[in-house]
Amino acid sequence: MVDQNGDGPWDVIGRPITFARSGLTVKNRIFRSSISGTFDSYDGTGGYARLNWEEKFARGGTGAIISSFVPVSLRGRIYPRYAMIHEDRTIGFWRAVGDRVHEHDCKFIIQLSHAGRQQDDRGVENRFRVGMSPTDRKDSFHGLLCKSMTKSEIDQVVEQFGLAARRAQRAGLDGIETHSSHGYLINQFLSSGINDRTDEYGGSLENRARFLREIIASIRAHTTGHFHLQCKISAVDYNNAIYPWEGRGNTLAESVQVCKWLEDDGVDGIHVSTGSIFPHPRGPAGDFPIDLASEAYDPIVSSGVRGRFNQRIFRGAILSRLFRWWWRHNRGPVIEGINAEHAAEIKRRLSIPVILNGGLQRASLIARIIRDGMADGVSLARPLIANNDLPLLFAQGHDLAPRPCTFCNRCLLADLKYPLGCYDLSRYDNDYDRMIGEVMSVFHPSPYEDS
Amino acid sequence: MSIPRYPLPAWHLDPPPPVEAALRRTRRRRAFVLTLALAALAMFLYWRYVAEVPRDHTGIEDHFKYGSIGSEYGNGVPFRIWRVLPEMFPEHLPQNGLTGYEALGFVVERDKDGRPTADTPIGFARRRGPGHVELISVNCASCHASTYRGSPDEPRRTLLAMPAHRLDLLSYFEFLIKCGRDPRFTVENIMARIEAQGWIDPVEKLAYRYVAIPRTRERLMESAGRAARLFEHPSGVGRIDTFTPYKLIQFRYRDPELLRPGNTDLPAIWNQAPRVGMRLHWDGNNTSVHERNISAGIGAGASPTSIDLPRLKRIEDWLLTLPPPKWPEDWPLDHSLAERGKPLYLRYCADCHGVPEESFKGRKVGTVVPLREIGTDPERLKSYTYDFMSNQYSLGTDQAWRFHTFRKTDGYANQPLDGIWARAPYLHNGSVPTLRHLLDPAKDRPKTFHRGNDVYDKKLGGFTWDQASSGGETFPKFDTSRLGDSNAGHDGAEYGTDLAPADKDALVEYLKTL
Repeated sequence: MVDQNGDGPWDVIGRPITFARSGLTVKNRIFRSSISGTFDSYDGTGGYARLNWEEKFARGGTGAIISSFVPVSLRGRIYPRYAMIHEDRTIGFWRAVGDRVHEHDCKFIIQLSHAGRQQDDRGVENRFRVGMSPTDRKDSFHGLLCKSMTKSEIDQVVEQFGLAARRAQRAGLDGIETHSSHGYLINQFLSSGINDRTDEYGGSLENRARFLREIIASIRAHTTGHFHLQCKISAVDYNNAIYPWEGRGNTLAESVQVCKWLEDDGVDGIHVSTGSIFPHPRGPAGDFPIDLASEAYDPIVSSGVRGRFNQRIFRGAILSRLFRWWWRHNRGPVIEGINAEHAAEIKRRLSIPVILNGGLQRASLIARIIRDGMADGVSLARPLIANNDLPLLFAQGHDLAPRPCTFCNRCLLADLKYPLGCYDLSRYDNDYDRMIGEVMSVFHPSPYEDS
Repeated sequence: MSIPRYPLPAWHLDPPPPVEAALRRTRRRRAFVLTLALAALAMFLYWRYVAEVPRDHTGIEDHFKYGSIGSEYGNGVPFRIWRVLPEMFPEHLPQNGLTGYEALGFVVERDKDGRPTADTPIGFARRRGPGHVELISVNCASCHASTYRGSPDEPRRTLLAMPAHRLDLLSYFEFLIKCGRDPRFTVENIMARIEAQGWIDPVEKLAYRYVAIPRTRERLMESAGRAARLFEHPSGVGRIDTFTPYKLIQFRYRDPELLRPGNTDLPAIWNQAPRVGMRLHWDGNNTSVHERNISAGIGAGASPTSIDLPRLKRIEDWLLTLPPPKWPEDWPLDHSLAERGKPLYLRYCADCHGVPEESFKGRKVGTVVPLREIGTDPERLKSYTYDFMSNQYSLGTDQAWRFHTFRKTDGYANQPLDGIWARAPYLHNGSVPTLRHLLDPAKDRPKTFHRGNDVYDKKLGGFTWDQASSGGETFPKFDTSRLGDSNAGHDGAEYGTDLAPADKDALVEYLKTL
């Protein structure tokens, strides 16, 4: 546990990290990875529960929180009730979030996002619209329809990212992360498995990366100083994980090249993840809880033309088990540190900090990854949902939380229908009410309670 | 400004969102494809298990030999049953040294190694019907195709449109009836035989087990009762009682007086064009080749509704110009003798039988010679009664082809003698074995002779008539003393029976060239 310098895991994990270019310093190496939860108003106006939610992690010792999926426009939303930053009127809310988090010496990096075609529920405002995407081809998993973006639409979205960045800076947040992974709009442009354009935004890697680089430029143009900007990248797309006949998507070498261009463009850090759809067998790496899927999938059945097909699979006694087997088979045997090798390769080729995401919750492993130079920090979501105070536990010397995350992914699927939280009953000694009590704790305190 | 209607009409719906619209398009496409697939499946199933599909043949000769004329639904038998009957009930076949349907005089085409080249003899047509059950029945070629050869050692030569001089058609029907009445004709026994012959479509199998076999037995037993009288006066080989089956089966006659047998020799049917407008049939009761053909089709078992006119027409058109057979080149022919016979023909025969060089035109060709003049056996004439004729007019009254030209006559019709060498035996009832015998006075013609031998008597001009058996094959005796089988008539100086033997030989030699 103790390295040759006599440092324990927390000595490594608890060491602050400073992003050289932006000067952003985070008190330790634990980042809360982006995770959303339907805590806000339908129209994307932030709600008090999100403040409570983010505070849980800040209070638990997390160094920096990467926000939920924050759409830069209404058309870029994946799900209603996720707070947005599409208009200036949202600045106040984000300032409140930032302030709440800062109280615990925790940084807040907002993840600027656009779903593209990957809109699980595009919402009533978009009822008669299809997704925006570099392609006309529907998404392979849910059959979400889309239309290839025109140049003016591309320019518009690039501008929206810039405006959103300006709002984030005005809200006093600590930085920005572009959500350029997991099959959302920027990843759709980057991925050779999805982008079938023949104009300057498709074809060669350079063309495919153009959209992201224009966004970086737009963000830089709309923000002052050197506002912290990191990019979340799917190091490998594995675009054909579910349907083997789909294109494979980007390779690690291609992603490394993209990251190098980003470094050249002045990006401050790279957040490494995987997969060009979400969810993906390798991200979040874990199980596929078919029992929950069969009920939680309901709200998005009508979102795509394959919804009913998927629902039949999730509800079929045999098909669901086969699907689960297929899902786990495509994930492979590794969960913890599933993307570590990819991050190491990117880190080796870059000089800006690299944050690794993917199944991490063991202090010793995290420390080893940082110590070995595979990454400079790690981002966690599910383990932090299970144990909001995991960094404190690490600091107390725990290698693993007494009740660690089981990577069951029930939180992931529950989010489609229920408030986000840990739904692994085994972690609550099979006490359902205790579990629900824990999940619902996010709604307390409310601004309307008499304290 | 339009006034809104409240509530909105019941059929009002918001336009579908894109996903719903895409799903509807997919559903419509799927429904369309499914409909097409179902329609294709239904068409296929209809075609395979419901539709009536005759087995067609491209070549006209094959069509004549094996093509359908629509008789299957009149007297057809399910093919698979038909195929196993000879091996199940060989004892019901004539015991004449031949096996299978060949024993009944049907012509089996064989390759040079003696293997049959078709799975039925000539003269059988097939038509598939409900349950994929194929029915088999006789067609034109059964009665109008046969074989000949120059010597017993030669292979049989098949000649289409010639009289089926070896065929015992009545015995064929008798064979089927006997099989149907045999206690061994059971579903189990027949199915076992059928299944032993190879794969069978499962639907067809069910159709055979539960419909075809029981119904065939039923029909054959029913026919046994109706046709019993038919077998009281067997026609024998190469002949048929044209009207009695008609009377018994189609018209259900019961009066014995109306059921007089009228056996006739099977005719040749080539070269029909010159016959158009002539009095046709032995007694000249019709002048229309087309009506005569339809009548023959009905005689072969087609019903007025099942008769397949387009397919019959193919045969009709072909027969119009099918040339009569030439005397085989490898057979001896004394041309100088024939030359001597020609003036004799022109003097004695041409008036009634036509001048060959003039398409067999002649003063009396195709006209009826009264019975009192021709003096041949009267039974065939008597069997065609006014009563029967009237009933014939009742057939197909709703059809365009309904009969118009049948007439009762008082004698027998003169015919062109094209290919006469291959039309033996002679006279309307086949009572004179050879051309040479026909030139003898009736009293000197053979009283009995044997029919069914296809070895040709090249000298006398007819098939070998004086052998009861040859090469393991036996030939039934023809007795001219039986009712309707008299060899009298066509006798006297004007018929050449008084000519000197040398002149008769010369005339016969000339007749061989026709």
